[in-house]
Amino acid sequence: MNEALRARLGWIVGAVLAVGLAVVLIVTGEENALVIGVTQGSAYGMVALGLVLVYKSSGVFNFAQGEFGTVALFVLYLLDFETNYWLAMAGALAVAAVMGFLTERIVIRPLFEAPRVILLVATAGVALLAIGVQIWFGDAQGKPIDKAFDRVDRITVLGVQVTDQQLALIVVLVALAALLALFFTKSNLGLAIIGASQEPTATELVGISVKRLSSFIWVIAAVLGGLAAVIAVPNLGSFGPGIMTSQFLIPAFTAAVLGGMTSLPGAFVGGVLIGIVQSVATSAPVFQDIPGTKSTLVVFIVLLVVLLVRPQGLLGKPAR
Amino acid sequence: MTAVASSATDSGRTRGARFRPSALGWLPRLAVWAAIGYVVLYLPLGRPPTDVQRFTEGVAFAIVALSLNVMLGYVGQISLGHQAFVGVGAFTSAYIVTEQGQSFWLGVLVAAAVGGFQALVLGGVSLRIRGLYFALITLSYGLVAEQNIFQIQELTGGGAGQAAPKPDWFDTEWRYYYLALGFLALVLYIDWRMMRSKSGRALLAVRENPRVASTFGINVRAATLFAFVVSGVFAGIAGAIKAHSDTQVSVDVWNFNLALVFVIMTVVGGLRSRWGLVIGGGFFALLPYFIEKIPGLEDVLADIPLVPRVLTPEIAPLVIGPLLLLVNLIQFPGGIGQQIRPITRWLSGHRFDIHDKGPKEVQITDVRA
Amino acid sequence: MLEANHLSIRFGGVQANRDVSVAVGEFEIVGIIGPNGAGKTTLFNLITGFFAPDAGAIVYKGRDITGMAVNQRAALGLGRTFQNVGLVKGATVRENLVTAQHLQADYSTIGGLLGSGPARIVERRLRERADSLADVLGLGELLDTQVAGLPYGTLKRVEIATVLATDPDVLLLDEPSSGMGPEEAHQLGDTLLDLRRSFGLSIVMIEHHVPLVVRVCDYVYCLDFGQMLAEGLPNDVRNHPQVVAAYLGEDPDDEAAPVDSMAEGN
Repeated sequence: MNEALRARLGWIVGAVLAVGLAVVLIVTGEENALVIGVTQGSAYGMVALGLVLVYKSSGVFNFAQGEFGTVALFVLYLLDFETNYWLAMAGALAVAAVMGFLTERIVIRPLFEAPRVILLVATAGVALLAIGVQIWFGDAQGKPIDKAFDRVDRITVLGVQVTDQQLALIVVLVALAALLALFFTKSNLGLAIIGASQEPTATELVGISVKRLSSFIWVIAAVLGGLAAVIAVPNLGSFGPGIMTSQFLIPAFTAAVLGGMTSLPGAFVGGVLIGIVQSVATSAPVFQDIPGTKSTLVVFIVLLVVLLVRPQGLLGKPAR
Repeated sequence: MTAVASSATDSGRTRGARFRPSALGWLPRLAVWAAIGYVVLYLPLGRPPTDVQRFTEGVAFAIVALSLNVMLGYVGQISLGHQAFVGVGAFTSAYIVTEQGQSFWLGVLVAAAVGGFQALVLGGVSLRIRGLYFALITLSYGLVAEQNIFQIQELTGGGAGQAAPKPDWFDTEWRYYYLALGFLALVLYIDWRMMRSKSGRALLAVRENPRVASTFGINVRAATLFAFVVSGVFAGIAGAIKAHSDTQVSVDVWNFNLALVFVIMTVVGGLRSRWGLVIGGGFFALLPYFIEKIPGLEDVLADIPLVPRVLTPEIAPLVIGPLLLLVNLIQFPGGIGQQIRPITRWLSGHRFDIHDKGPKEVQITDVRA
Repeated sequence: MLEANHLSIRFGGVQANRDVSVAVGEFEIVGIIGPNGAGKTTLFNLITGFFAPDAGAIVYKGRDITGMAVNQRAALGLGRTFQNVGLVKGATVRENLVTAQHLQADYSTIGGLLGSGPARIVERRLRERADSLADVLGLGELLDTQVAGLPYGTLKRVEIATVLATDPDVLLLDEPSSGMGPEEAHQLGDTLLDLRRSFGLSIVMIEHHVPLVVRVCDYVYCLDFGQMLAEGLPNDVRNHPQVVAAYLGEDPDDEAAPVDSMAEGN
């Protein structure tokens, strides 16, 4: 079995798992959990895409990925008072992009040769800085945030209303995943990025600047994080400092790990899978007696099990 | 893959009679020691109790830094969930004292034991998970602690928090501060002895090259787990000290931000440097205090242009800390400990050597997963 | 003393060792030669426990140790060096020599943490032994020097000293003379013969430097493509037609570091 086929097999397995879970849920009358799971999971998937992009190109676990999103949310929140929602959203994404660019320039680039663990600490530092600045500029309280689409009763799936905002999330995610997959398999720039991640020296030799590619990747990743936040969080109604890190980052990492850390479709499928599992498990009887938010615990267990049983993810090849 | 030897600049100090300062040479050293003793031991006596409580927190943070250093500095495993270890220690001790009516001393002991056990379980379960992935696990565990473990009513008293009275005899802030210093001294002593005994050397060997370590007869897994337990015990002690200093442990302190502050103060302090770690921990705990006390600084922070709100002393560590970390990682990877090494070496009776930066950092087997 | 019986191991599509058998008698010095990538280091990794063989067994002092962990084998007296130097490079020479005496540090861990009297006494003994081992290999002047930064040939000697510190009965040396000039290599031969006498050692060495092999080895095995090509007395193996053919196009005295990545010991 060749590499490409193996990779595809992996996320097909993931997709089959997801569909299987979905069927079970429909049969058992848990449609609501399913719909919530898929929409929530789409947001995880989108954050995970950014994580995978950065890991693929530079081998960094980017703990600041969530905060690209929270910062974008704050900008959206602030600009929404001043101007029209769509302009505010564009502004939010622009700020996320700038933040991604600056992170790469100021933090990642000087540490290019450092051990990966140091880079991880550095990105965690960026995340904390972002959270600190959010608290500083605003406060630690939750803030209400508007949705882009208000209508909630356009579509009903399996007897469950899907809001337009949730629909937008899924559509954008699918479109993005497809676009990115195309980008990395067809476009020259995409192929160059993959090349740079595997053979930096060789890529430099054929005249492509690995450094410039790195900036580019971080900007894309930051925009993905921003998009995930500004589309997914309004579903929750409000947000606070660090929300993307405390609520989205770990599920997204779990999704990326499920996808083997390097597969975009894998991260996407993994995200949806996590979303469904989370949504079902939190209502499972086993967890009834556990105090607090069950979803965190569920993600912890999934992450632990995946890392122990199949650290290479659903699709990676076993490392010898 | 392998350790890369960096260029040879370190002058080989040859064997022969070790340098010992003369009686006259000890004088300035003793003076500096006395000054440090004055600042740490005597100065707090003249401060109001609320200030002293903050100094105690600085001591607790110093112990946390030493605890994290065992994992990050000696084993090379990063913990982004250390607030959970410290928090569990705090709640355990408070629970033992308030709910079980036992003594403070038993509270600290149980907190240390629970801390060690917790680290052993988490480490044991995830022993196969290394490097970046282990960081994920610990971060996730920290969130679980925050959102599940600390929500257990009986242990944490829920939203109201758990009372944690000070022990008899140490019921003033000053006395308790000295007690905390005593615990810090104990932790420092154990850390020092550990690194001068077989267990500490085994850790350094395992961190740098597990394969070589195993050919030395070192059981890599056992050594790693041992370090986790030590780290957990230190964290438990730190938690208990903070708990009884605040006399009330509340749930919302132990959040993700705190975990990051812990990691940052450890790295900024300087891995594998006891001096640096203590300074780093103390500095971050006292940062708000310094901002309040340095005349005019608060006004400066209040008037930063283009910023809508005041940078209050409470928020300052969250903003200044990461900035320090980034400067640190990029400019001074050895942290405070490395920068002050010539002084600390001199203080312990070596020659003053401004160029002494300690052992060269050897690029270790990278955990690129 | 040490027997490897019919060892085989496969990595993916590569048969790194196929039915390899080696026997080492007490106080014997055995050489293992062969072109780069022949599976010599893989054999060491099997014997010392870094890899588990797909087939075959390893018998040491009459015991089957095939399933044992690396550190357990080390405790039984199997000491090894690595092709690309197995040392704790962030530490000084002395620290390495003391670390390697891990198993001789017979005080309790708790005692070590608390700085108990017995622990301090043992620690002093370990340091003294480190000093005397350093003297044996002529490293006395370098005791307080950090390992990283030492020249390669010196590192090889430091490595031999650390392995001796683990108190082995059998020494497995992976290219001990690499990075050394002919002069130094010749001295190394003397050192090895001395060590055998003074420490009562058996030695197995992977070595490219043929004059050294011929001078010190009692018996030589030649591996090629993971299989045993020839064995016998040094001069016989050296002149064995198949061995000569295997080395054809490759200078037998070539000392360039082999790119044996699959079997990298480190």
